[in-house]
Amino acid sequence: MFRAHPLLMVAACTLALAQRGLSDDWPHWRGPQRNGTSSETRWLHEWPADGPKVAWKAEVGLGFSSMVIASNRLFTLGHADEQDTVHAFDASTGTTLWKHSYPAELGDKYFEGGTTGTPTVDGDRVYVLSRWGDMLCLGVADGKVHWTKNVQQETASRPPDWGFTGAPLVQGEHVFLNVGEAGLALHKKDGSVAWTSGKKEAGYSTPLPYREAGEDLAVFSSGEGYAAVRLRDGQRVWGVRWLTQYGVNAADPILHDGHVFLSSGYGKGSGLFKLGAAEPEATWKSKVLATQMNAAVLHQGHLYGTAGDTTTKAALKCVEFATGTEKWSRPNFGSGGVVIASGRLIALNGTGELMTAPATPDGFQPTATAQVVGGKTWTAPVLANGIVYCRNARGELVALDVHRP
Amino acid sequence: MTSTRRQFLRTTALATSLVSAAPFIRAADPAKKYRTALIGCGWWGNNILREAIASERLKVVGLCDVDTRARDITAERVHDLNGDSPAKHNDFRELLEKEKPEIVLIASPDHWHALQTIAAVKSSAHVFVEKPTGHTVNESRAMLHAARNSGRVVQVGLHRRIGPHHVSAMKFLKSGAVGDVGMVRIFANGGGGRERPAPNLEPPEGLDWDLWCGPAPKRPFSQKLHPGGWRGFLDYANGQLGDWGVHWLDQVLWWSEEPYPKRVYCTGGRNIAGTPILTEKEQTSDAPDHQVAVYDFERFTCVWEHRRFGGTQSEKHGIGAYFYGTKGTLHVGWQDGWTFYPSDSKAPSVHEDSQLQQPDGHNLKLLWADFLAAIETGRKSVANIEVGHRSSVLPLLGMISWRTGRSLQWDGAKEEIVGDPEASRLLSRPYRAPWVYPDLTS
Repeated sequence: MFRAHPLLMVAACTLALAQRGLSDDWPHWRGPQRNGTSSETRWLHEWPADGPKVAWKAEVGLGFSSMVIASNRLFTLGHADEQDTVHAFDASTGTTLWKHSYPAELGDKYFEGGTTGTPTVDGDRVYVLSRWGDMLCLGVADGKVHWTKNVQQETASRPPDWGFTGAPLVQGEHVFLNVGEAGLALHKKDGSVAWTSGKKEAGYSTPLPYREAGEDLAVFSSGEGYAAVRLRDGQRVWGVRWLTQYGVNAADPILHDGHVFLSSGYGKGSGLFKLGAAEPEATWKSKVLATQMNAAVLHQGHLYGTAGDTTTKAALKCVEFATGTEKWSRPNFGSGGVVIASGRLIALNGTGELMTAPATPDGFQPTATAQVVGGKTWTAPVLANGIVYCRNARGELVALDVHRP
Repeated sequence: MTSTRRQFLRTTALATSLVSAAPFIRAADPAKKYRTALIGCGWWGNNILREAIASERLKVVGLCDVDTRARDITAERVHDLNGDSPAKHNDFRELLEKEKPEIVLIASPDHWHALQTIAAVKSSAHVFVEKPTGHTVNESRAMLHAARNSGRVVQVGLHRRIGPHHVSAMKFLKSGAVGDVGMVRIFANGGGGRERPAPNLEPPEGLDWDLWCGPAPKRPFSQKLHPGGWRGFLDYANGQLGDWGVHWLDQVLWWSEEPYPKRVYCTGGRNIAGTPILTEKEQTSDAPDHQVAVYDFERFTCVWEHRRFGGTQSEKHGIGAYFYGTKGTLHVGWQDGWTFYPSDSKAPSVHEDSQLQQPDGHNLKLLWADFLAAIETGRKSVANIEVGHRSSVLPLLGMISWRTGRSLQWDGAKEEIVGDPEASRLLSRPYRAPWVYPDLTS
């Protein structure tokens, strides 16, 4: 035994932290860059047959909400006994830090119901929008309610048929919600309304921010299409009419190379539109990719995403962004989702099988596959700080240790 | 342990191939493209239309829906599928008059089936209408009557009459392999809980809510109702018994040598979902969250059960029909195919997988092909209006018993409830003006 020098211990810890990449948080929907891509490079993509080591497991209640991770805290949502619950866990150990519940309907129209939205972490606050328009601002450390209100009632916006689903976007002093025809802006300090849009129903995507000509913009979906607005005043900049059955414009748009890529299910398909005009023109349209819920992920000029609906056993496909040409298709993938890290796909199929494969147009060749959770998995996996988090509809959350030693 | 009866399957395969060969005996001009229209451009209407288009035997000339967005989306889809540019109509009468379709597909909510089917056959169209035929018994009778008078083919959407595993299960059952069947239990169970009310809203822009309600009472608009939730509202449908119940009762009638039961009793309620709410501000659905219906036949008892709570984990099957016989129990299901569980615990069970078609997950393709074959050969279609009528009447009688709280004596030959004038009045219902309830002169 020896007594280590305190400074040396700090140094050793810092080194360990750096190795484990503890800065690779996933603080909001679709990850740090809002594109389904993690910046993490050191993670194991070869697993034993029964999958990576399970770091922890938890029960979070019925739903499809994704997980967000910041400063070693994990937040997600679930539904049970006529309430939704915001869960906060220690992201490495699974220890419950706090919970906060509020009354909510199950909402089981054509599916088992439960929560569908995902929290957003911004500094010391976590923001939650329920399917029924309840908006909450909670303290990340203790779950204390800083403010809460029902934005559907306040704005009299039509809720979409399956309720509000897009995660809150926090930028500057505001929180932007996919509520109304083209978004809703609240002051993040107290939830007071900054601006509203038309009352028609929103779509189900998360506001996607970008910057153009010195102006902060975000793309919102509605029941009739996708539109970009100025974040400072909600002024519409461009819009694409994109009709999907039941108004299910759910998959997040993808902005790249002066274009916006849109895709939805119910036989609709995809389109690439050139930005620049108030009504962007289609570069191509195709039925090859049709992302009913989870958006595709773009990597080196290719999109990786699903084609088909929950009722049709969707395929996982690779499609060239510039042309819409299909490069490969893996049938019977189901309505799962993918993320990309260090050039590799981490794909959770619709029935809880996790796979990883190089993200390449040459084909889908998994190097590791494991059944990591049972039942229905419509929630894309999340990679943060060496852990892959997966959940199923029943609310079984599993944290898989993929730290590379 | 499970084994497959090869001999049995061979026989089935032979029978199936004969059936599918039949249409070609008198095949009409294969290049003939039927002028086709769809009324009701929702999820299921689009499923039927997609199969219809896949047959390459039609030109889609018209689409009708009271929701502008639904018909716009469907028109876009039709154009993508086969290049047709159908005319779009809000009102089915205008569609029939202007587009003069030769085939009309009807996938509107139940309360519209009768008037639309009758108008369509009177305009000389063949009709493919969703089940149940009517929302009340006398609507269904009027549909049958109008179809007979017109000489047109009317196919009812009972695809379980032609789904391969249903056909082979029925053959197995009729072969005597199950023995004498004394009881049938049909069921559709699932999970669920208390229902909270949703706010009444202004109908969305582009939805003709008055025409959506049509002959039925006009409730305040709610997203619980449209799109798609109307089956839980008794003004427009008959809940689970009027949905899945039709399919499974149809399987029973297909097998049974008796064409109708002599007595019907039904009970149930909303013990979990809660008392229905309808105020100026908000509403819930009002269909029962569980029901038990007993159909007394001379030679067997048929019990229907549905539950929207409790789940299905405790049972091997969540949906289907059990035929209980002296040699064992036959389960006919949906995705899980059919399985025979012999009484002799040492004997192997027998199983056949389902053969469903995507993307509808049922067997619409086969039912559509049969419909076209019936039009072209003059033979009866497998789920013709007489079949569909008889199978639709049983759940509707169950609902009358449920409403009145007593057993009904049913004279199936005359289609009359015996000795119960109050219950007999519920064989029809008042229509909202200006719509007129169809009768046998319709």
